[in-house]
Amino acid sequence: MIAALGLVLGIVAGLFLEPTVPTWVQPYLPIAVVAALDAVFGGVRALLDGIFDDRVFVVSFVSNVTVAALIVYLGDQLGVGTQLSTGVVVVLGIRIFANSAAIRRQLFKA
Amino acid sequence: MARMPTPAPHRTDEPPSRADSMLLLRDLVEGSLDDGYARAAARREAGEPAGRGSVWVLAVGLLAVGLLLATAFAQTRDRAGSVAQARDALVAEVQQRADDNEAAQRRLDRQRASVQRAQRQALTLTGEGARLAARLDELEAATGAVAVNGPGMVVRLDDASDSGGLADGADVDPRTKTADQGRVTDRDLQTVVNEIWAAGAEAVAVNGQRLTALSAIRSAGEAVLVDFRPLAPPYVVEALGDPDRLRATFVGGFGGSYLQVLKGYGITSTVADDGSLDLAASVGVALRYAVPPAVPGAAGGSDQSKDGSVSRGKN
Repeated sequence: MIAALGLVLGIVAGLFLEPTVPTWVQPYLPIAVVAALDAVFGGVRALLDGIFDDRVFVVSFVSNVTVAALIVYLGDQLGVGTQLSTGVVVVLGIRIFANSAAIRRQLFKA
Repeated sequence: MARMPTPAPHRTDEPPSRADSMLLLRDLVEGSLDDGYARAAARREAGEPAGRGSVWVLAVGLLAVGLLLATAFAQTRDRAGSVAQARDALVAEVQQRADDNEAAQRRLDRQRASVQRAQRQALTLTGEGARLAARLDELEAATGAVAVNGPGMVVRLDDASDSGGLADGADVDPRTKTADQGRVTDRDLQTVVNEIWAAGAEAVAVNGQRLTALSAIRSAGEAVLVDFRPLAPPYVVEALGDPDRLRATFVGGFGGSYLQVLKGYGITSTVADDGSLDLAASVGVALRYAVPPAVPGAAGGSDQSKDGSVSRGKN
C-alpha cells in the first residue's frame, strides 16, 4: 500500500513538478528508463514467482540505471556511445521480453 | 555490474558443444531474472529475518521509478513541443519577411512611379526636354524599365504529360533520362526566347517576368529560374511586336523547327497572336556605374569605391 503510494507520488511529482534535468544528464535519460523498466519487469516477475524481495528490487533498480548510464557515458567518452547504447538496449530489451514472457506464463498459464 | 547474467546451475550439465554465441543468448533469456531474488528467497528459507523497514525501502525505490519514468515522459513531451514551437516561429518569421518584402516592393513601385511623373513634368518644360522625354520613353520600353502594352504573340510551352507533374514524380526516378526528356529545360526556354528576340520582339516576358538585356534564364535542380526566380510550368512567353511579322518570322525560322523537335519529346507548345498584351516592368532594373579602381592611400579613391559599392548593393 505504502509502496504503491510511493509509485503514484513519484509519477505525480515527475509530471507536475517537471524537475529540470541537467543538460549533461539528458542523453542518458532514455537508457536509464530502459534500465528502470528492466528492473521493474524483473521485480514483477519475482513477485509472481513468490520470491520478491524489497531490497533486491531497489538495489537492482539503482544499480541498473546507474550502470546503464555509466556504460553509455563511457562509450560517449570513447566515441562509441551509439554502439554501446545499442548494445545496452539490445541486452535490456531481451531481458524485458524474457521477463514479460515469464509474467505472461504466470498470469495466463499460457 | 550487479545484474550480469550468470549461468543458471541447471545448465551446467548440458553438452558443451553449443556455440558460444548461442550460450550468450541463452544466458540472456534464461538468466533474465536477477539471481538476487532467488538468493534472498533462499536466505529467508534458511530462517534469516527480513530487514526492518523494508516497506519504506520499496516505497522510496518505487518513488524513484515513478519519478524517472514521469520525468523522461515530460522531457520527451517538452522537447517535441519545443521543436514544433521553433518550427512555427520560423514559419511565422518567413511569412512576416515575405509580407515585408511585398510591402517594400509596393512602396518601391509607387515611388518609382512618382519619380517618373516628376521626371516627365520637369522634361516637358523645354523643347529639348520633350525630345529627351520621347527618347527616354523609347529606351525605357526597350530596357524593360517600364510596363508596356500592345499587340504581340504568346508562346506556351508545357512539360510532357507523363513526366512533369508532382504526382507522377513520385514513381518516376527524376534521374533517369526518360523522365527528364519530357521536361522543359532552361536551354529550351533560352532558345525560344532568343528566337523571339531575333524575330523582332520589342519586349519579352516569361511567366510575367519581364526580360531585360541582363536577364538570365537558368535552372536550379528541376526548376527553371528567370532572374533567379523559380517558375513553374506551363511556361508562357509573351512577346510584344508586330504580330504578323513576329509570328511568321518565329514560326518560319529556327524557333518553329525547335518547337517541332521539342514535340518529339512530348513537350507541347502553342503559338498564338494576342491583340493586347500587358507586360510588367522588370523588377531587376538598376543603374550601374563604372568606377575606377581605388587608389591606395588616396581619400578620393576610397570615397569613390564606397559609392560604387553602394550602387552595386542596390542591385
